[in-house]
This record gives sequence, structure tokens and C-alpha cells, in this order.
Amino acid sequence: MSSWLDYTINGLIVGNVYALVAVGLALIFGVSRLINFAQGSIYLVGAYIGWVAVVQLHTPLPLTIIFVAVVAALVGLIIERFGLRPLQNSVRIAPLLATIGISFVLDQLVMLTFSPNPRALPSQLPDVRFEVGGGTIGPLDLLIAGVGISSALLLFVFLRYTKLGWAVRAASQDRDAAMQMGVDVNRVNQTVFGLAAALGGVSGLLVGMYYNQIDTAMSLQATLKGVVAEVVGGAGNVPGAVIGSMLLGLVESYGVAVFGTSYRNLFAFLLLIVVLVLRPNGLFASARQAPPEPLTGTFIAPSRPVRIPRWALVVAVALFAVLPLLPVSFYVLQTLINAWLLGMLALSLTLVAGTIGQVSLGHAALLAIGAYTSALLSLTLNVPVGLAIVAGGLMSAALGTILISPSFRLRGHYVSIATLAIGEIVSLVILNWESVTRGPIGISGIPPLSLFGYDLVDPRTVYWFAFAVMVVLALVQGRLLGSHLGRSFRAIRDDDIAARAYGLSLNRYKSLAFIFGGFAAGVSGGIAAHLYSYINHETFNTQQSILALTVVILGGLGNVVGAIVGAVALVGIPEMFRIAAEYRILIYGIVLLLLVRFRPQGLLGTI
Amino acid sequence: MTTGASEPLLALTDVNTFYGQAQVHFDLSINVGRGHIVCLLGGNASGKSTTMKIILGLMKPRSGEVSFDGASLIGLTTPQIVRRGIASVPEARRLFADMSVRENILMGAFVRNDREAVAQDLDKMLTLFPKLGQRLSQRAGSLSGGEQQMVAMARALMSRPRLIVMDEPTMGLSPLYVDRVLELIRTINQEGVSVFMVEQNASLALEIAHEAYVLQTGRIVLSGSARTLKDDPRVRDAYLGGSEAA
Ligand SMILES: Nc1ncnc2c1ncn2[C@@H]1O[C@H](COP(=O)(O)OP(=O)(O)OP(=O)(O)O)[C@@H](O)[C@H]1O
Ligand SMILES: [Mg+2]
Repeated sequence: MSSWLDYTINGLIVGNVYALVAVGLALIFGVSRLINFAQGSIYLVGAYIGWVAVVQLHTPLPLTIIFVAVVAALVGLIIERFGLRPLQNSVRIAPLLATIGISFVLDQLVMLTFSPNPRALPSQLPDVRFEVGGGTIGPLDLLIAGVGISSALLLFVFLRYTKLGWAVRAASQDRDAAMQMGVDVNRVNQTVFGLAAALGGVSGLLVGMYYNQIDTAMSLQATLKGVVAEVVGGAGNVPGAVIGSMLLGLVESYGVAVFGTSYRNLFAFLLLIVVLVLRPNGLFASARQAPPEPLTGTFIAPSRPVRIPRWALVVAVALFAVLPLLPVSFYVLQTLINAWLLGMLALSLTLVAGTIGQVSLGHAALLAIGAYTSALLSLTLNVPVGLAIVAGGLMSAALGTILISPSFRLRGHYVSIATLAIGEIVSLVILNWESVTRGPIGISGIPPLSLFGYDLVDPRTVYWFAFAVMVVLALVQGRLLGSHLGRSFRAIRDDDIAARAYGLSLNRYKSLAFIFGGFAAGVSGGIAAHLYSYINHETFNTQQSILALTVVILGGLGNVVGAIVGAVALVGIPEMFRIAAEYRILIYGIVLLLLVRFRPQGLLGTI
Repeated sequence: MTTGASEPLLALTDVNTFYGQAQVHFDLSINVGRGHIVCLLGGNASGKSTTMKIILGLMKPRSGEVSFDGASLIGLTTPQIVRRGIASVPEARRLFADMSVRENILMGAFVRNDREAVAQDLDKMLTLFPKLGQRLSQRAGSLSGGEQQMVAMARALMSRPRLIVMDEPTMGLSPLYVDRVLELIRTINQEGVSVFMVEQNASLALEIAHEAYVLQTGRIVLSGSARTLKDDPRVRDAYLGGSEAA
């Protein structure tokens, strides 16, 4: 047993590491009102560059740190210059999506270069520990604290006493006014991205040394932790980010002390949700107004949707319906079944993100809720599978809406953060609620699909079943969009303030959208569970949420037919070219980046 | 057009501006003569602030020409335009709220590199705006509206501009401060800085302006010397009658 002092020291050290990430996020948010989802990838790059330096180049520690900082800063500069600057005049969500795409690309590049297997990253420091009070502290702890504190001091001096630092502060308080003073905002952006990346990279290096292990899963975790710390401290508030990080480190460390390691992240995300709901501007921003986030009206790329004649749709549906009667391989059917399942998820997301404008990054959680509900009902209570799947859909609709409802008053990027966190919470609850979900072991032996007593095991019947469910959901959703309700959804998306002024109750409409979307996603998850026969807490992960987002952007946000076309394209094309699995995520990331840059309205146009 | 002293310092010629589909300016032409105070009058949403954005390069017109001192500003970035010698007092001041008053004023000298002269100019600002002396280390966001206006004007002057553009400098100020601001604009102008100001309050603006233009839903409907416009009943009809009645 470690002492409380040990947990405190551990919390503060980890807090230092988070602070290096969060301060970068805060600087970037301050200047460009952007949550940089690629920050964790830079941290990952930093860790691996550090590994190269330590293990292969045998550089001494100070040189390693400088080397990592410089390389990471270069990566940051490249991201800013080629990934984000071209998007300056696009819709507000574009840079956020671009950073997600960039993070996928960077993570995959690291994984392809270094393999996904964990590696040891020795700290190059003597492994001794000194007794302090009732706890112990080692040289690495001191190094991390030293790097954290000196970075904070350097940053303070930079912001307070240099001309460029003044420019950064001015631009983060009022970008237009700063430009009117002659501040070159591009240069400021470059500066903060370079700084943020250098700090993030060093953070990755230190974490790797602290746990003496690095692997590619670090990236998303780091982004999430950084975002939590930053939001807790108040988005864009640099000292707030430091304090938020320490708080997060301590909360996690004490949480682990009381409940065990698998609860670490749960505490982080619960803290985030609590802060988002109760103090959306952070703990210290009481007197200050909300950071300006001019999102309404420009959230979705305006476009003229491609008109597809009804007969063409009927023909397409008919063709896909008779496809299994043709001599097609099992493999093609299998691929299309996956496309239909993804299509249902995309229908759900295109409604939530496109039609009503709540860009969800945690949509896979709805799959998980539906899948677990349906699997457990059929397995433990012998509920017929068809009914269980419907129950899964209903559970997803209900639970999903309840979970997201505290965040209904959030807007723009904050919705994305909240949904991401809720997605993580769902997965962590599944992991930890062993008595119901069987925890990390997962659920195996889930009965196969069946309808009215007939087992659907033949791939053709499974195909028809999935296809039929998706078409029905699409028809209902198409109807919905044309109705008064659909118009109200879009009014809320385009200008929630005006919509409220017209007397629309935002909460009611957002609930309706999430109920319908939750049902579609839950059904998809339910079918998937019976198809896979085994699921665990990682079956439905963030990668799937992002894949779904890429699908709906590809198809055109809000566009029902587009969602399905996007799903077929993103599932089918990699299969067609037999692209190896490890390159697929890379390709999804690149597709997302290209779309955001060159065709934000997607293939079929936004509605 | 002749060159040299008679050529206007700032000229907008046939400017057409759009927000998406909505047209805001229709063949807008405005000249600001050297050493003059020129005022753009207009009611709410007539396109006054958008004119400022066009001059400062914060927005690009779809067609038309903007030139300063004989050279086109089209295609320049805002910082480049500022370096040419145009400073601004934005609508609602737009101070850097979390920076100190001193830092705000010095931000105005961002484009300059002559440290000593900047320090001297700061002292000069404190003689021009004596009240700011005691407030230098205070957060700019904590000042009163009138004080903020003073800071915004001092900030603009710190770049030693040849032209200052001001968006509704008297908005939201008490009558006492309104007089002070107008007096200061006149002082600034007498030191050789040309002024282009946007105002809703025509009677006040015409007190100090040399020329004025009246903007109505994106079109110039009247223009001329301030003296003639002051007595022109059409100013009342075209514009004063509308928004001043409230
Ligand atoms: N960012 C914007 N996007 C779309 N339309 C805008 C934008 N800014 C202004 N407009 C519209 O352009 C028109 C002119 O606006 P502008 O701000 O130039 O008016 P103004 O004369 O300064 O008004 P006020 O007296 O209220 O300051 C208005 O109809 C306004 O709604
Ligand atoms: Mg205005």
C-alpha cells in the first residue's frame, strides 16, 4: 500500500504532464477558438521521437528533451500551415474535424512505422527514491516537476515580456482588434502551434519515461486528458489549464487509491461533464463571459443537395435487394452487411450532427448500449432476438438521450467534447460494471440473429434483414426531414437563438433528435452483437465514432441518402482494393482531411 | 484626377460588398481628403461598420477599388494596411480586456520598432488623456465606457497614423464624454491626422466634420460639406427622422 502522500505526489506529477498538454490546448484555443484534437498525436510523436533518441541515438537527457521539443514543434508548424491555415475561411467545424483527421493520420503513421506493440522508454535517470515525509520521490518525479515549472515560467516570461507574446495575448482576447493593431494572426497561430507542439511532445516523452512504456493508444488518452484539464480550467485560460491539470491529476490519483486503476479515466470524464454542465466556462471564469464562439448559422457548409430522382432510388434499392440472388461471393455480402450496419449508425449521426447540428464524437456509445442490451436480454432472459434488438434500440434512445441531456445547453465544440466524454464514460462503465456487463471479459455466446423463431444464419437472410431495417429507418427519417419537425430541427441548427425566439423549445427538439438517432444506432448495435456473437467494452470505440462522422460528412451532413452512400463507399472501397486493415484508419483520416478541405458539403450535399 | 495635395488620402470607388447572397454596399464611393474629418452617417444596419471592415481589409469587396495615398489596398492584409498608416477605433472599442491599460495603449504601437519614441508617445498620450495616468496598470476591461473610449483613441494614435477610422466613437457615452471625445477628435485632426468616422448621431458629427456622406441601406443618398448638410432638410428626412425619432 502506498501512502496518501504518495498518491498526492503521483497526482501532482501526472498533473504536470497533463499541464504540458493542456497549456498548449489553451494557447491554441485562445488564439483560434479551436480544440486541437491532434494535440495527443503530437504527444505520441514526442514519445516515439524520444524513444528513437534514447534507444537508438543514445542522446544524453538534456539533448533528448531539446530534440523532442524541436521535432514536435516542427510537426506542429506543419499541421498549422498545411492542415489548418487553408481552412481559415471555412465553416467553424472544419478546423476541428481537420484536427481529428490529422490525429488519425499521425497516429497511424506512428503505428505503421513503429508497430502497435508497446515499447520500453528508459528514463536515463538513476532509479533511486528518497523518503519524503511518509512517501517517496525519485529523480524522474523531480525532472517532470522541473520541466513543468520551468516551462510555465518560460511561457509566462514569453507572454508578458516579448512582443510576440503580447501579440498572442491580444489575439486571444480579440482577434480582429489585434489585426487592427497590425498583429499578423498567421504568425501568432504558428507560434502557438509550435509552442503547444513542443510542450506536448516533451510531455509524451516524460510520460513514456514515467511509465517506462509507450504505445500508440497514448494519443487519444492524452488528447482527452488535456481537453478535460483545459475545460476545467476554462477554455483558453493558460493559468487555468495548469490548475485544471493539477486538479485532474489529483482527482485521478485519489480515485485510483480508493477504487482501483480501471476507474482512473472514469473520474477524469465525470469531472469534465460536471464542469461542462455546471460551469461551462471553467472553474475560474465566473465573471468572464463565454468565449466567443460564432457557430450558429455557419456550422454546416451551405450547399444545394444533389437531387436524386425517386425512381433512381427505387431502382437502387431494388438492385441491392436482389443482389444476394445473383452469384455474388459471401465476401461481398459480408462487406455490404457491414455497410448497412454502418449506414444505420450514419443515419443516426447525420440526423444528430447534420440536421440538428450537434456534432457528436461519441456515437459508438449508442451502438454499445444497444448491443449490450440486446445481447444480455437474449442471453440471460431468453428474450427473442428480434424483440431484444428493438429493446436495444429503445434503450439506446432512452439512455443516450438521458446521458446527453445535461449537455443540451452546450453549443458547438463543447457539444463535441461532451459527447466524446459521454462515449468514454459509457465504455468505462461497461468495463467496470462487472456484475452486469461481465467487465473486461466481455460477452460471448450471444445467440445468432433470429426472427419469429427462425434463425437468420445464412448470409443472404442476414443481408436482407439488415438491408430492410436500414431502408425502413431511412424512409422514416426522410419523412421526418420533410415534416414540420425536420424544419424545426434545421432552424435550431442554423440559429438556435432565433429558434428559441420563435418559441421552439430546444431541449424538446434535441431530445427528439437523440431519441430517433439513438434508436437507429441502438438497433445497429443490437444486430451487430448477434452477428459477432462476442462483444466487449472495446468493440464499439472512438474510432467507430469518427468513422461514422467521416461517413456522414462524405455523404453530406443531414443527407439521408448521403449517409448510406457514404457508408457503402467507406466500407466498400477499401475492401474493393483489398487494403490491409492497418492502412484503413489512415485512409479514413486522409478522406476526412480531404473532404473538410475540398468538399465540406460532401458528395450529395448538405441538407 | 489630379495628383498631390488635392488627391484624396482615402478613396473608395464603386464598392459592392456582399455577405453571402445579401448585398450590403451598392456602388459605394467615398473620398477622405487630406487633413479632413469626414463623417459617414446612417441608421442601423445601413452598412457603416461594413465600410470600416472594407477599409481595414477585414472583408474584401466583391468589386470596386479602395486606395490609400494613391495606392490600392485591395488584396492587402489588415496588418499590411495598418502599416501603411491607417489606425482604427473599432465599434464598441474592442479593448484587450484582460491586458492592462498600459499594455493596451502600447499594443497600438505594435507595428513600430522605435522603442524610445514609443515611450515618448506614451507620455504624450497621458498629457492628451490625463485621466489615464492613474489607470495604467488597471485591467482595461474594468474601465468605464468613457475611459475605454479614451484608451481606444490613445491606442489608435500610438501607431502615428495618417488616417484614423472610428466606428461610432460616441456610442453609449454620457453627454460630458461625448463632448470630450469630439473635442479630442478635433485636436487629433489639428495635429495633422485625417479622420474618417462613422456616426449615427448626425447633429453631433456634423459639428466637427468637414464633409459628410449619408448612407441608406448601402447607398450614398447625400453628400457634401458638413456646413451645407447641417442645414439640409433632406438629412432630417433621409435619416435623422428615422432613427433619431426613437
Ligand atoms: N458578419 C455578418 N454576416 C452577415 N451579415 C452581416 C454581418 N455583419 C453585418 N451584416 C449585415 O449587413 C448589414 C450592414 O451591417 P453593418 O454592421 O455594416 O451595419 P451598421 O450600419 O454598422 O449598423 P449599426 O448601426 O447597427 O452598427 C446588416 O443588415 C447586417 O445584418
Ligand atoms: Mg455598426
